[in-house]
Amino acid sequence: MAEPRRWYLITYDIRDPRRWRKVYALLKGYGEWLQLSVFRCSLTDRDREKLRWELARRMDAVDTLLVIGRCGGCVERVRAINAKEDWPEEPALFKVL
Amino acid sequence: MSTSVLSPKPANTEPSIRTHALHALAYCERLFYLEEVEELRVADAAIYAGRRLHHQLQEEGERVELELASEALGLHGRVDAVRTREGTLVVHEHKRGRHAPAPEVPGAWPSDRLQVGAYALLVEERFPGVPVECRVRYHQTETTVRFPLDAALRGEVASAVARARLLRASRERPPVTQEERKCAKCSLAPVCLPEEERQVAGEDRPRLFPEDDVRQVLHVATPGTRVGRASEELVVTPPEGEGAPSRQPGRMVSALVAHGAVQVSSQALAYCVENDIGVHWFTSGGRYLGGLGGGTGHVHRRMRQFEALRQESVSLGLARRLVAAKLEGQLRFLLRASRGDADAREVLASAVRDLRALLPKCAEAPSRDVLLGLEGAGAARYFGALPYLQGEDVDPRLRFDGRNRRPPRDRFNAVLGFLYGMVHREVDAAIRSVGLDVAFGFYHQPRGSAGPLGLDVMELFRVPLADMPLVASVNRRTWDVEADFEVTSEHVWLSKAGRAKAIELYERRKRETWKHNVLGYSLSYARLVELEVRLLEKEWTGKPGLFATFRLR
Ligand code: SF4
Repeated sequence: MAEPRRWYLITYDIRDPRRWRKVYALLKGYGEWLQLSVFRCSLTDRDREKLRWELARRMDAVDTLLVIGRCGGCVERVRAINAKEDWPEEPALFKVL
Repeated sequence: MSTSVLSPKPANTEPSIRTHALHALAYCERLFYLEEVEELRVADAAIYAGRRLHHQLQEEGERVELELASEALGLHGRVDAVRTREGTLVVHEHKRGRHAPAPEVPGAWPSDRLQVGAYALLVEERFPGVPVECRVRYHQTETTVRFPLDAALRGEVASAVARARLLRASRERPPVTQEERKCAKCSLAPVCLPEEERQVAGEDRPRLFPEDDVRQVLHVATPGTRVGRASEELVVTPPEGEGAPSRQPGRMVSALVAHGAVQVSSQALAYCVENDIGVHWFTSGGRYLGGLGGGTGHVHRRMRQFEALRQESVSLGLARRLVAAKLEGQLRFLLRASRGDADAREVLASAVRDLRALLPKCAEAPSRDVLLGLEGAGAARYFGALPYLQGEDVDPRLRFDGRNRRPPRDRFNAVLGFLYGMVHREVDAAIRSVGLDVAFGFYHQPRGSAGPLGLDVMELFRVPLADMPLVASVNRRTWDVEADFEVTSEHVWLSKAGRAKAIELYERRKRETWKHNVLGYSLSYARLVELEVRLLEKEWTGKPGLFATFRLR
């Protein structure tokens, strides 16, 4: 049960402001808010499934969700095209604040 | 005496078995035991995906859930869905995976068959006289497998319940399964460590022990900082005039470490406890005060720990191996650091010789006091030799000249003490997450707020996680003798900058990987700490002999 993690872009379209706020707050716990309804998260398979389950409980049938896995190559390209946006190779394993 | 031969008590005096647990039982008896008796549950990706499947089915309006219990059967559980079809009650169960291969038609896996059979019996008891049929829907292959509630299935469920009772009454953890391929898919493999047990028999094995916890360790090292919570984020607010608050996604944090005067709100604490984030406190001088987090439950593990460590033979045996491992670690570091350096070798030769001479004495030590003596003698030789590992051009103010602590009186000891605190935190957190009790050890006496078991296990890691990186960093001239330290006439402490440097040194070291000399796979020092604690637990649960066997090269 090795736990490598991958980058994901997660975008959503939520029809109700109350549900929208809940989803937004949940995603903030898993990753970084990029713009409007787009998040960038570095997740293990377990995180990803847990997040999808938690999202499923907060969302409604009319809402939509898109989870896009990004391989190392894709991330490289994002970096090359969009140099100003910093897209780290690996999230830091510790932080001193 | 083994209690596993006791016959099960009559049904009405015993709590019933969860239907779901029969599924685990049919898969692997050890899995059943770990989950139902030891209360260990690790949710992996498959479990969350399964929950999502059930959640979606619920939204599509397909499900009628039924909570059922039966004293006569000794079972309780929640049935996924029951429907009536032409006078027959059809019990449905949904599975994400594929169906079992069968000679002609798709089949149900034995564990699924058992679980649905148990539901069917519960339904039958609730609606007497109505015929019952079983169906399992396998979503990956989009097949539905049907089978009747016949005499054979009734028999299977009854004997599974009897077996479950027997296991529940037993104090012995069943052995790892013979069917090795099951372990690769088992969510409890990182806890059960089947390959490490099989390793004892030799041969190369796949690695099931997990890679690094990829979540971040958050060190809050600025006095006056406040840590709060805003829904799913931890918000770290530095004191006035020291910058903007920083927000951390909560699920990406594995531990929150507070150094000195840091305030953590009760909402943030509650969030940490709920999300399995350890919280640890250090004094501003770098002494480890203790922490929060890890195992609730684990009653059985703790009871076994108490029972095992109360036996003098077990405690003393472990203490002997611990001290031997520590001395050998010191010895190997001296050898390794002086490799290819003839002058250093000569000076160190006598220390090495003396340490070597102490090793066989550990194995024969008649008591803990004798071991303390051997450890002390070893420490004197080792710390006496350590200055010779420092390069010629090291600033005299960073030279090591004997160990001192509380408070440290020189720069080297200030960092060393701080790093030992970090190691202590690591070990304590691992002991908690494995479900053992830090308060019950086998070698040390309790000291201050420190639990003896943490102090015990820590002995294995002082050299690789503190001494080695510190000596190397001093030789690399990483330290700024002025800016990194606060010096008074009585003591020397790390400054804010120095503390950040020490944390970085430690955190990087802990992620370095290293190939285990006995188990044969590579893992980081951070994982090694947890692995050692799990192997320690095995000393009294059937597979002794693996604890404290790792050696530096
Ligand atoms: S890892 Fe293997 S032996 Fe251990 S509980 Fe799981 S299936 Fe059973």
